[in-house]
Amino acid sequence: MYQGIAFRTAFLLTGSASEAEEAAQTAFVKAWSALPRFRPGAPFKPWLLRIVANEARNRRRQLGRLRALELRATAAHPLGDAAPSPEGAAIGRELRDRLLAAVSRLDERDRDVLTCRYFLELSEEETAAVLGVRPGTVKSRTARALSRLRVEVEGVEP
Amino acid sequence: MSELERALVALGRELDVPEAPDPVPAVLGRIGPRRTVHLPRRRLVLALAVLALAALGATLAIPEARSAFLRILDIGGERIEIVDELPELPLVHELERTLGERVTLAEARRRRNFELRGLERAPDGVYLGARGTVWFLYGTPERPRLLLSQTPLLDVDAPALQKKLVGSGTLVELVDVDEAEGAFLSGEPHFLFLIDETGNTVEDSARLAKDVLLWDEGGVAYRLEGDLGREEALGLARALRSSN
Repeated sequence: MYQGIAFRTAFLLTGSASEAEEAAQTAFVKAWSALPRFRPGAPFKPWLLRIVANEARNRRRQLGRLRALELRATAAHPLGDAAPSPEGAAIGRELRDRLLAAVSRLDERDRDVLTCRYFLELSEEETAAVLGVRPGTVKSRTARALSRLRVEVEGVEP
Repeated sequence: MSELERALVALGRELDVPEAPDPVPAVLGRIGPRRTVHLPRRRLVLALAVLALAALGATLAIPEARSAFLRILDIGGERIEIVDELPELPLVHELERTLGERVTLAEARRRRNFELRGLERAPDGVYLGARGTVWFLYGTPERPRLLLSQTPLLDVDAPALQKKLVGSGTLVELVDVDEAEGAFLSGEPHFLFLIDETGNTVEDSARLAKDVLLWDEGGVAYRLEGDLGREEALGLARALRSSN
């Protein structure tokens, strides 16, 4: 049930399928061991994803790798546009590549919060739980990361 | 939501994320019966040479980039990293520097809100370390005979408490301490680091450790360190009593 989101989270944080697989597996093992300590009634997804994210970030730290450089986008149409013209597709691809490259140039803290908020589409509360920070920190960190991202991409208007 | 935020969401949906592999067989395998892990003995000569130099207090000169991680185990609040080459490490020789604040047993009981356990005889030294750890020292800091540490595991997904860097001359055995999963490290000494609350290694805390038994039980991570065999260490672990 949570396999997909666990792997996706680990992959987006490590940028490596093999590391993501290991991180997700280890996280499931840890979560299984910790289930007796899981607080009944608490949301399960952020609790699990926090374990996944910690594993993924530990692995990333050990590898010393810039994971974002390994991310690729698949679609060739403009961002959020379902039926592009050929010209529109080229523009969209350029924008998407520029945005991805800009995200890759951010530091890990900025990338992690943007990954949680926008690539994983987690709420501020869920992001806070996953990253182990307060919701207010997520809000301020997101604003700073977006501001830096705007500078990086320049052509993308807020 | 701004245009930039919408673009990020759209980008996220278009990222090329591989299909999630089925983790069930691997996870079931990892939570299965206990097993013993015998480390490969390759590059033993190099590991022995490195450790001998370390014991003499030398700064080792093996490029960190050449160190290849072979496997990682997380047990008893400790991360065990088994490598085929050990990195450059300035070592700490004053044991007390890595333990923390020296206090009385009564003070430790007062300042730590979990049940402390110990051997029948009182420890010769008690220290309050990082992340809620209580250290019991039997012997003297100069000539320690046994070290027992206890750390509350408040959150299982928190970073490991300590990191061990183990060369190929060290044997890691997964053992049962009563009903708890544990590991016993023996053979060649290994490097031991503290890890801070953010998961980063405290580089200046590296020291050599002897035989160690690790396990966690009842939300507390325990480690017994000394010149012990496996059975003696397991016997001591089972003999621990409440010190409260």
